[in-house]
Amino acid sequence: MSDGTAGKNNRDFLKLNADSQLAELFSRRLIFVMGKGGVGKTTISTALAIAAERMGKRVLLAEIGDSDAIGQIFINDTLPEAPLKIADRIWGARVNPKTELALYVRHHINSKFFANRITRSRLFDYLVAAAPGLREIMSLGRIWRWTQEAGSAEPFAYDLIIVDAPATGHALSLLRLPRVLIEMIRFGPIVKEVRELESVLRDPARTWLTLVTLAEELPTNEALQLYQAADADLGMPFKMIFINAVYPRVFTKPELERINDLKSFCRGNDTDTSCLKLLEAADHLIRMRRRQQPYIDRIKSKTRGGGVEVPVYYTNHLSIGDIGDIASRMIRQMREQSEP
Amino acid sequence: MLNPIFDPDGPKIIVNCGSGGVGKTTLSAAMGLAGALAGKKTIVLTIDPAMRLADALGLSEFHADVQRVPLDKISSAAESSVGELYAMMLEPKRTFDELVTRYATPEISRKILNNRYYQHISNNMAGSNEYMAMEKLYETYHEGVYDLIVLDTPPTRRALDFLEAPQRLLNVLGHSFFWKLIKPYLKAGRWSLRMLNVMASPILRVVGQVIGRQALNDLIGFFQVWDEALYQGFNRRAEAVKALLGSDETLFFAIATPQRFPLQEAEFFWERLKANRMPFGGFIINRVHASIHDVPAPPIDQTAAQICPGAPVDSQLIEKILLNYRYIQRQAESDAASIRGLESRVAGLAGVKTIAAVEEEIIDLAGLLDLVGYLKE
Repeated sequence: MSDGTAGKNNRDFLKLNADSQLAELFSRRLIFVMGKGGVGKTTISTALAIAAERMGKRVLLAEIGDSDAIGQIFINDTLPEAPLKIADRIWGARVNPKTELALYVRHHINSKFFANRITRSRLFDYLVAAAPGLREIMSLGRIWRWTQEAGSAEPFAYDLIIVDAPATGHALSLLRLPRVLIEMIRFGPIVKEVRELESVLRDPARTWLTLVTLAEELPTNEALQLYQAADADLGMPFKMIFINAVYPRVFTKPELERINDLKSFCRGNDTDTSCLKLLEAADHLIRMRRRQQPYIDRIKSKTRGGGVEVPVYYTNHLSIGDIGDIASRMIRQMREQSEP
Repeated sequence: MLNPIFDPDGPKIIVNCGSGGVGKTTLSAAMGLAGALAGKKTIVLTIDPAMRLADALGLSEFHADVQRVPLDKISSAAESSVGELYAMMLEPKRTFDELVTRYATPEISRKILNNRYYQHISNNMAGSNEYMAMEKLYETYHEGVYDLIVLDTPPTRRALDFLEAPQRLLNVLGHSFFWKLIKPYLKAGRWSLRMLNVMASPILRVVGQVIGRQALNDLIGFFQVWDEALYQGFNRRAEAVKALLGSDETLFFAIATPQRFPLQEAEFFWERLKANRMPFGGFIINRVHASIHDVPAPPIDQTAAQICPGAPVDSQLIEKILLNYRYIQRQAESDAASIRGLESRVAGLAGVKTIAAVEEEIIDLAGLLDLVGYLKE
């Protein structure tokens, strides 16, 4: 970050226990951030990228397909397909499955002229649109090639790739895809690549899958289903769950009682409405937290390591500064959780 | 803006579009209840409903058969006659299978339903869920049983894809253009890749390499049967669905929250509806955080003694209360700014209705009735 707080923040984060959850997370090559639409995947991906950057990592932040949310946050524009430097040690890129497929065909057809004719034909477009999972696998292929570059000695290689996964609602089918394709296609060059891709996805030393949800009924149900299925059916467990937009527990128990006393006092005295307004705002927070609590409890009891609560941010338009702030609070919270 | 729901001469179909997580299903249920309360026989078609909503409606669960929502508690309290409310969950795969069975002979249906490629697209293909939602809507409309049908569309951008090209799904499935290209490579009467001279077409050869021969085989087998048995029926059907949705029997609403992404999606839907001259009812912006009161905010730097005169409060607590107040005001202001932005972009061309955020989840019909109250306001 170039806002002058980076130095202080860095010192702050270096104090992190080396085996804390976050340090562990950032020792991977690849982090997938998954979840249904509207739960805040982009916010979490970006916050993680900023946190990793502050811990000295070089990060590639990638989004897939039509989404351009990350680009809007950092450069107020759509990200290019080739990684672009968007912060001190963060690069951003948008994966375009069509480009990847054209590259793939070019790679496997010796004649450039021929390859171009094929990828430009309408029939090819139809078949690509119709072929199950082809777009997704091409996107995963691009990410896999980046992981091959990651950690190499090249000047622009990355320590860590964070993928803001598409909000398909079909995260499970995305994860299952390599398997399905291997079974369907069986032979040929693509199978070899898909196998390697799958081995990266399945290797917890290199890849962690993370999940974002909200403390509401449907997102929680869906997240827990996905969490269990990924582990039991696919053997690809989620390593971390982020519970986004959680209302913080601000008041202690005696303070809650005090707030209630104050309310009756203000009502009884019929004086300044300002006082009541303040207390109602406090009440609002308390009630919102109470509404979220059962879902937070469910997530914590049903997942290993519990969920990481990401505090609500009271605005509809998050700036990089806001997300940096969320990153700080996330780190603080994880540190508290990892302490006994 | 929401009068058409209550109006006895209003449209017969309400279609709600919007991204996920904005409360679309709950609002659809509330609109359905509003219609029933206005005396209409109403059905809500929904996808992905919450258990909590089923509970709230007094149903043990949602399923793909029509269920009646018990309204007796409300009816006894209501002055005027209450209509009937029904709910049904959409199951795109089942709808797709039913369509196939309708248009093809039993033997061909079996072939299609067992084709692996069909199984894939009917479950997963982009656009098929959305199309099938509209298909179910059309079917329900033509049963002629209901005065009002409320459709809660799948929460994706693609919900309206079929408007621009009702054949879009069909294009992928078996457009004649595609078929003309494939046909020369097939030997008459048989449909398998073994019969297909792959070498004759470099394009097919490459596709075979990329997606695999087995997959290509399934694909072509599917296309052939599809083209012979189903294409025409589907095509006519898709055109009819589009015509119904563009008629004055239908009204579309775009549903969002004040957050950036849902709002963008709602505007995206509006643009597409405009481009296709579809009847638009307006924007419904859900979960708007109101400024705590209409009274001006207390200056933040006031001390506890000044804010709550006569009540001793320790300074740490008052600081927390003030900070929280500021945050909540910040949210309210941000929401207000989002809505102002929307209104200025809409420039009076469409209505914008806001619904206040509630602190409690809707757990029963009474909660849903409160929401109906908001809709009426």
